[in-house]
Amino acid sequence: MNEVRLTARKGRWIVLCVITLIAAGLLSPWASSHPDGLERVAEDYEFLHRAEAVHEWAPIPDYEVGGIPWTALRIGLAGVIGAAVMLAVLWGVLRALTGKGRERAGGTDHGHGAGASSGAAD
Amino acid sequence: MHIPDGFLDAKAWIATSAAGAAAVAYSLRKTKLALDSKQVPMVALIGSFVFAAQMLNFPIAGATSGHFLGGTLTSILFGPWIGSIVMAAVLIIQALVFQDGGITVLGANILCTGFIGCFVGYGIYKAGVKLLAGRGRAAVTFVAAWLSIVAASAGVALLLAWSGTFELGTALKAMTGWHMLIGLGEGLITALVTGYLLERNVPLAKEATAR
Repeated sequence: MNEVRLTARKGRWIVLCVITLIAAGLLSPWASSHPDGLERVAEDYEFLHRAEAVHEWAPIPDYEVGGIPWTALRIGLAGVIGAAVMLAVLWGVLRALTGKGRERAGGTDHGHGAGASSGAAD
Repeated sequence: MHIPDGFLDAKAWIATSAAGAAAVAYSLRKTKLALDSKQVPMVALIGSFVFAAQMLNFPIAGATSGHFLGGTLTSILFGPWIGSIVMAAVLIIQALVFQDGGITVLGANILCTGFIGCFVGYGIYKAGVKLLAGRGRAAVTFVAAWLSIVAASAGVALLLAWSGTFELGTALKAMTGWHMLIGLGEGLITALVTGYLLERNVPLAKEATAR
């Protein structure tokens, strides 16, 4: 039919993982440093100066890890750290979300089945 | 660049913070109901990919650049509720760890690039797939992602105008104008990645024999 689903082929997810690492670690230092859409508009209409940071304690400001002499490494490392943090945070949060509902969750996949069949088994 | 602190006035950032927090709380509840625990690694990996891809600014006309956002991508793959949670997580990490996007305007960024991006993209995608009965899925995906970026930038323009930063008509024209170009990148990446990760849904019985 016309339905699609997420691929179950592990290889494709591994490739995505590799692409993510390459993008975050190797390509990020070579990204365009021109102002992006919003920054361009802010410059053109002269309100970029209104930008301020209410927190100065970000550990890796502007995607550059401090204390490393090579720019490419500063940015690439920031990218890899960010990608890893993202993976860990989302994994943790979503695990916690599904974990709590797990007793009931058997029923979410098969809809009405779980409750009814367990009742029948009794 | 996401909206930094200082671009929105107090009423706008307070209102968007409240609305953004409520929207995230509601999405978390929806996600809890919809998320299959087997999907967790895939969702987390897509979040990581979105973060990495957002770092790659590509040059567009006039010494300007654009970057991928990812709301349409995550929503096509996992639905708009999970999609908006992924986007919110990306924006929170970017603001807290990398000082990209402000703290007071986190709600505004989550509403615009998260929710508007996810729901506009997903809505157009679903409508297009239904209308064309599944044909031209890549083209539908491209258009959906492109429009989601234009809509998200219009959302930012509305908030900027509401804050008195500049006049609504000018804000809309300037923001959507640039993002019509930037959206082409969004469309391309979204179509490529969804094309790679989605496959035709084979009926279960057939799949079992195939193994």
